[in-house]
Amino acid sequence: MTTNQTRHRRWALPLAGFGALVVLSGCAKDAPQDTWQPAGDNARKIDNLQQPVFMIAGLVLVIVAAVVGYCVFKFRDKGQAIPQQSHGKPALEIALTIIPALILVGIGIPTVNTLFKLAKTSDTQCVVNVTGQQWWWEYDYPVQDGCGGISAPIVTSGQLVIPAGQKVLLRISSRDVIHSYWIPKLNGKRDAVPGRVQTLRLQADQPGIYAGQCTEFCGLSHAYMRMEAVSLDAAGFKSWVENQLAPYEAPAAGSTASQGEALFVSQCSRCHQVNGILGADGTPVISRPDKYVYSGAVPNLTNLMTRTTFAGAAYDLMTQDCKTALWNTPSAQFSAKYLEGVSPECLDTVQLRQWLRNAPAKKPMYADPAKLVETGGKYRGMPNLGLTEDQIDKLISYLTERK
Amino acid sequence: MFTTGSKLFIGATTLAVVGALIFGITQSDSKLGTIGLVSAAIALVFLMGINFWVRDSNVSPTDTAALTTAPASHEAPPRSMWPMVAALGVALIPVGLVVGRAITWMAVIVILVATVEWMVQSWSERASADSAYNASIRKRIMHPLELPVLGALGLGLIIFSFSRIMLRLPAAAGAIAFGAVASIVLLFGSLLAAKRTVGRSVVGTLCTIGAVGIIGFGVTSAIAGGREIVKHEIPSFAEGTCGTEHGEADHNASRAIALKSNLAATIVLQNGTLHADVIGVIGAKTTITLGRSTNSYIRFVNLDDDKHRLVADLGVDEVNINGTATKVPQQSCTQAVGKDGAQFLVLRPTRPSFSSTTPFTLSVPGVDSTITIEVP
Ligand code: HEC
Ligand SMILES: [Cu+2]
Repeated sequence: MTTNQTRHRRWALPLAGFGALVVLSGCAKDAPQDTWQPAGDNARKIDNLQQPVFMIAGLVLVIVAAVVGYCVFKFRDKGQAIPQQSHGKPALEIALTIIPALILVGIGIPTVNTLFKLAKTSDTQCVVNVTGQQWWWEYDYPVQDGCGGISAPIVTSGQLVIPAGQKVLLRISSRDVIHSYWIPKLNGKRDAVPGRVQTLRLQADQPGIYAGQCTEFCGLSHAYMRMEAVSLDAAGFKSWVENQLAPYEAPAAGSTASQGEALFVSQCSRCHQVNGILGADGTPVISRPDKYVYSGAVPNLTNLMTRTTFAGAAYDLMTQDCKTALWNTPSAQFSAKYLEGVSPECLDTVQLRQWLRNAPAKKPMYADPAKLVETGGKYRGMPNLGLTEDQIDKLISYLTERK
Repeated sequence: MFTTGSKLFIGATTLAVVGALIFGITQSDSKLGTIGLVSAAIALVFLMGINFWVRDSNVSPTDTAALTTAPASHEAPPRSMWPMVAALGVALIPVGLVVGRAITWMAVIVILVATVEWMVQSWSERASADSAYNASIRKRIMHPLELPVLGALGLGLIIFSFSRIMLRLPAAAGAIAFGAVASIVLLFGSLLAAKRTVGRSVVGTLCTIGAVGIIGFGVTSAIAGGREIVKHEIPSFAEGTCGTEHGEADHNASRAIALKSNLAATIVLQNGTLHADVIGVIGAKTTITLGRSTNSYIRFVNLDDDKHRLVADLGVDEVNINGTATKVPQQSCTQAVGKDGAQFLVLRPTRPSFSSTTPFTLSVPGVDSTITIEVP
């Protein structure tokens, strides 16, 4: 045995161990992004297809590996003479062509069938527009009789709220580069392509929260472009809609939050919309993100505190304990728990403060004014606004009232 | 020493030089004549030199070898038109440079054709001493190329002439004229079929007359220009909304697959009312919701009889015009389309609908029905 072979042997065991670990990690019981744990009709359709396909593929793998292994062992070189060479065996060759063809047809028919079922739009009960941009998702709910009735458009970000049990149709698009929307427990992926509207069915059987992340590399903060789908029972969804459409409540005059509101108008309103906010002269303040941000959109902060995460669902607005509690709430109580929003006990402003102190330091973004030549001076992401700690305090107290 | 031919040119040269001198002295204010005469003198000297050099192409009686090698002892080659054609091509190049690129390209083609023909011809003439055989090998090589090209050119010329004549004649007269021409061709053909004895030359003459007639008429028509073709203008349905509209509606727009497959909404005008269809959206036939800062493709389908256009009104926006903020109405329209026609409209609202004192709408001038646009 040469030293080279010995060295190979020495590496083999740790490598095999590491490989096994990687494979085993795929078996995690409570992984939040697991296609093998469908939680809705569409994901189940995919699961029902991929289980038998993987089974057949596995069987084929075992048979082929066994035959190859047998041949390698049986006919290994023992110094024997080269056996007589024959040329071709038509019967065997035809059989080996027909069998895979039959297997493929067998897989193909249910695959195409599932594809058509997943593309169906005629039985939609609720429509949500999903728009990706660097590096967060915006959801807007068109006026419709579906979704239990929506009388005025709603816009939110990061967390997609849907009614449980309903066939929801996402109309997915993008404002800058290609992104991809994927909530593994609810359906497959769909690319978000600028200038195109692609549809994706989503249905969650039970109230609950389901994680996902952008699955098309989209630049610097692709890894921080997450999303969550939150499904609520019918009553819960109705009250969520009502709350989203509730009129603006200005903070009490003279309060810290009120000072925060004035700061918000002067510092943030050119990009961020808060529906109903009035300027010093009493006229509505309308944001113009299209003038400052490359994608032309910025999260609407009217109801920031009704979501539990921010900045592409990458950071939390509640403490880790509360977050774990929310994620583990049984579906029967989930809607009520989620609608509580971020309660005072759960509120965790540490991340939000860091965000306001210097957003690009928290999440990599192209927000350095000196380097915006490519986009004609427009930011990709939120810039560092150089706020003082006092200003941040006031803004936080204003923002935490947005629920 | 001097051959007879060169003596002739010497004399002529002397005459030209003397003429130039006299002309130059007497007519001192006109230089052109002097220049011409001096040029002639130079050319004549040149010719004299050639004559001197080839010794008038004469063969000395003592030079027996020359009896077979001298140019004069050969059978003269047939006349060739290619040097002349090539020269024409070369002359056309400066003309083309002045007049237009098309002529330059024509000149290049003429030169190329002449060069190839010339090369093949001179090669064939040296193939053997038998000029009939030489001509036959030239034909064998060049005819497969020449005949189709000439045929196509001839046919093209006839077709082009035809089209010019048709465009020149008034629409009704055109139909009559070509009916007559077709009848004559039919008659002529039938006569030929019935009477096989008609001579080749008669047929050839008639065809030539016909072709010349068509080309002649064609050329005169082309020069005279086509008849006036009436353009159908669609009047604007709402002057001032999107300006006056000219020309015919672009029916091809309704075939753009990329637009069709990404619709935000289809707006249908039927029996004088508008309704919206959005994939998946239940109800909400008179309200559509469009995203902010993103392109939304709207398809307008007219099922009513009259021509109609869709007008989008997205309120008023402040736009920077020459440094001053100016309020500009955000309006856009489709072209007017007739029954069953479709048109597209691309909208990109930048402000929420609640920012406007008037609602954002889609409407059809002259139709009392609107679709409200909501922008979150
Ligand atoms: C130049 C435009 C711009 C300005 C000005 C701006 N932001 Fe932002 N902000 C953004 C963008 C873009 C994002 C999304 C970044 C991401 O998630 O990738 C964002 C995200 C946020 C978020 C997270 C929202 C969510 O739902 O995910 C908060 C909170 C926020 N900004 C607060 C503020 C406050 C407070 C101010 C004023 C002090 C402010 N921003 C000023 C552009 C801006
Ligand atoms: Cu992305």
